[in-house]
Amino acid sequence: MLTRREMLKYGAVGVVGASASGWLDILASRAAEVRAQTKRCVLLWMAGGPSHKDTFDLRPGTTNGGPYQQIQTNVTGIQISEYFPRLARLMNHGAIIRSMSTPEGAHARASYNLHTGYREGQGGLVYPSMGSIVAKELGNQESPLPNFVSIGQRSYGSGFLGARYQPLIVNDPARGVENLRTNLATDQFQGRINLLEELEQGFNRTHETHVGVAHRTTYQRAVTLMRDAGARAFDISNEPAAGRRGYGTGKFGEGCLLARRLIETGVTFAEVTLGGWDTHQNNFARVRQLSEQVDPAMSQLVTDLKDRGLLDSTLVIWMGEFGRTPRINARGAQPGRDHYPRAWSCVMMGGGIKGGQVIGRTDAEAATVAERPVSTLDFMSTVCRILGIDHNKQNNAANGRPIRIVDRGANPITQLL
Amino acid sequence: MTNAPRKRRSWATAVTFGLVAGFVAVAVTARFNPTWAAQVKGSDSKAPAAKEATKTKKKAAPVVLQVPGAGQKLDAHALSKIIDQEVAKKLSAESITASALSSDSEFIRRVYLDVVGVIPTADKVKAFLESKEPNKRTKLIDELLADPRFGTSLAELWSTLMIPRESNNRLLKYTPLQKWLADSFNAGKPVDKLVYELLTATGTQDENGAVTFFVGNPSVDKMTDNVARMFLGVQLQCAQCHNHPFTDWKQTEYWAMAAFFMKTRLSANPQQAAKKGVSPGISETNAAPKKKGGLPESAKIVPAKFLQGEQPSLNKSEPYRPVLAKWIADSKNPFFAKAMVNRFWYQYFGRGIVNPVDDMHEENPASHPELLAAMTEQFKTNGFDLKYLIRAICNSETYQRSSKPNDSNKEDVELFSHAYVRVLSGEQLYDSLSTVAGKANVNRQVLTKGVGGKKGPGTPRDNFLNFFRIDEGLNPLEYQQGIPQALRLMNSPQFSASADAISAATKAGNNEPAKVIEHLFLTAVARPPTQQELGVFTKHVSQRGAGNAAYGDVLWALLNSSEFALNH
Repeated sequence: MLTRREMLKYGAVGVVGASASGWLDILASRAAEVRAQTKRCVLLWMAGGPSHKDTFDLRPGTTNGGPYQQIQTNVTGIQISEYFPRLARLMNHGAIIRSMSTPEGAHARASYNLHTGYREGQGGLVYPSMGSIVAKELGNQESPLPNFVSIGQRSYGSGFLGARYQPLIVNDPARGVENLRTNLATDQFQGRINLLEELEQGFNRTHETHVGVAHRTTYQRAVTLMRDAGARAFDISNEPAAGRRGYGTGKFGEGCLLARRLIETGVTFAEVTLGGWDTHQNNFARVRQLSEQVDPAMSQLVTDLKDRGLLDSTLVIWMGEFGRTPRINARGAQPGRDHYPRAWSCVMMGGGIKGGQVIGRTDAEAATVAERPVSTLDFMSTVCRILGIDHNKQNNAANGRPIRIVDRGANPITQLL
Repeated sequence: MTNAPRKRRSWATAVTFGLVAGFVAVAVTARFNPTWAAQVKGSDSKAPAAKEATKTKKKAAPVVLQVPGAGQKLDAHALSKIIDQEVAKKLSAESITASALSSDSEFIRRVYLDVVGVIPTADKVKAFLESKEPNKRTKLIDELLADPRFGTSLAELWSTLMIPRESNNRLLKYTPLQKWLADSFNAGKPVDKLVYELLTATGTQDENGAVTFFVGNPSVDKMTDNVARMFLGVQLQCAQCHNHPFTDWKQTEYWAMAAFFMKTRLSANPQQAAKKGVSPGISETNAAPKKKGGLPESAKIVPAKFLQGEQPSLNKSEPYRPVLAKWIADSKNPFFAKAMVNRFWYQYFGRGIVNPVDDMHEENPASHPELLAAMTEQFKTNGFDLKYLIRAICNSETYQRSSKPNDSNKEDVELFSHAYVRVLSGEQLYDSLSTVAGKANVNRQVLTKGVGGKKGPGTPRDNFLNFFRIDEGLNPLEYQQGIPQALRLMNSPQFSASADAISAATKAGNNEPAKVIEHLFLTAVARPPTQQELGVFTKHVSQRGAGNAAYGDVLWALLNSSEFALNH
């Protein structure tokens, strides 16, 4: 039997012809297209704030170090949690930033800050999230597929950039896009569209108004998406069992698989959320269980992207809104750690970064940043630089105010580039 | 600019001169640049704001405004005439011909959406189209202003404007405020009184819905921003951290306004209150004003001072807010009445006389300064009566123009030569869809289980509004919905498969396809089909076998059309 990679390879040159699903051909040819295009991004959002001290910046054997052990990665000198055995073998593709230091310690405000680069309410504006910025700057505006897809929750939206860059939200990866399918027979749906077109033409002829044109265009895009072969990327049941297995079970694994399928078909930014990291209580059991979801899903995602030649053009980010207190709190028999934005970790893989390194360092307690503090602005500008976006570019807010993609004062991590 | 001969319309010359005899010269500091209209013509709707905002700073030269009707008390119809006359002046100066008056179909749908927030039923449309009464439009306006949905729809609009959604108020209950506002609007409470009560409210949300304004804006700076934006028509928030770029407002002036809120205390924020199951409340204590520690980093502790006004002496043992409220709701206040007039003009036309609607300052001049001055004066003289103001707007020919442009005015985006096509708000869309489906009441019921996988109770309406909400607030002149919303409207059976609407149309149309189709058109877009449409739709229905499925297709097309989604 052919490996998946071989099938793709042969499929692309027509050797296999109508392959297992018929869908693979499309995937393969698109993968070739995508490779030549600009960069993409998958954001793995760890909602609640993962404990840095129990994931990527451990202090085993110290007073507040917790019970986890470290394991060696495939990069000499870099060690991570024992519950990331597969990620450890991919460390040469990635970098750990251990010196994140950010201003917000409440979930919603911190999530807003790390998604947009701005503080909620700043200057009375609603700022676009990273996904919307990337969709605007790098997305293929002609594509019937949306450029920003958010899987698992309603993400932060496009703010002043407008509806064009709103995320398409997939609440449940197993169910795909809500209302994407009609219950009608094809000819009945077409009959309805014909009636609608009759009305639209009449109205636009007499009114010549751009809101009418925008309404009609939005509907046309939606109908195109319903009919586009690419929309099948949203249906993970089309994925052969072999392709699914490595992602592990559970919604997050399905979300990462969906993200990979979308990136392959040309979506520019996919965000996948894994909640449950707000471990004020029972931290050690919960972080282990969450890590065991992250490890297969993220590893398989990175591996699949690599196998398809997409890893160098696709940045994968693993992060939450903050870290957790270096001290273990005193909440009864199953203690936890509390919110901690002062020093924490995030991980980047692929995207053409210089892999196999650690940026910054925290002190002996993993409590303060000892080297190369990375602010929200530094982080955002780094993501922009990796993806090839000018972070000093200004977009206009609705009232005409020019707003920088990343506010003044950003200092990107050049070591990664 | 074309040199087409000026086409003066008969109504413009028919203005009763007696009404405008009372011209009084008033010196104001407004800068009027006669070329501004030409500069922004033909550009997209965002560009004018950008240009206005980046205009170079020049010291304003005092000009003399001729305010029609100054010194007199005019009734609503006389004010309607002034509206038409002032709009006509600008149009004729630009050699632009106004569009014809709207048809009865255009008018009834528009005035329903604007005044009561929902489209009319087919029965109402039929009766109105058939009526031969000469004053039927004026009568309809009065009927709608007396409809309780006038207050409820306006209350919903105001509550979302007054309390922008943020992470720290997402569990806020809006309903106590909406009920309080709706009752006030419906009772005809003068707006100065209403705003005074809002700004001085104390007690819990359960006791006094008006406190919700403060509960939902639970910090000194949020309160300052939203009071300034909503009731003074100015964007002070830029001055929170630095001196305002386009005005003389200094950062100290911001914190001098904020100083009026330093003694306002919240009993529990919406999150805490929801967790504990208590009703959050507002008090204004005798305690000392807030210290810098509890305020944003940019805060300056300065004595309270009215915006561009005097520094009142405050009694430390008395509440501060009533002093501010009294200044705002006073007929001598230079901002308040004008801001209210401009806000309602914006609501009914889609563009303010000063635009953006809450960005009124010297460098952002009014398109029709005399009109704004006249309406402001009459609004005050008529006791801040909101229904008076709306009656004057709706009875004007300017409001009643067709939304179909002509060759001379299709580029116009700010002289009100025709009715600008506006996007329905989420509330208007949902309520209109429910009206068509005959389920206006059913869909307001609270479900015991959450919808769309979300936790907690909510009505299908809440769920819909959440899905259709625009982050930045609705801009009625931009279609801001995306693919997910279009997919829901097309493919969710919630509305389009309405058996009730179809059976009602089948009955009304006596099972004759042409008549059933006509009834469906009246139901959804308040007009009968054109000959061409009737041909296309009848053919479709006969091919599909004139039954519920075929009529379902017709209804589906209507409910998904631009004409349905837009107010025109």
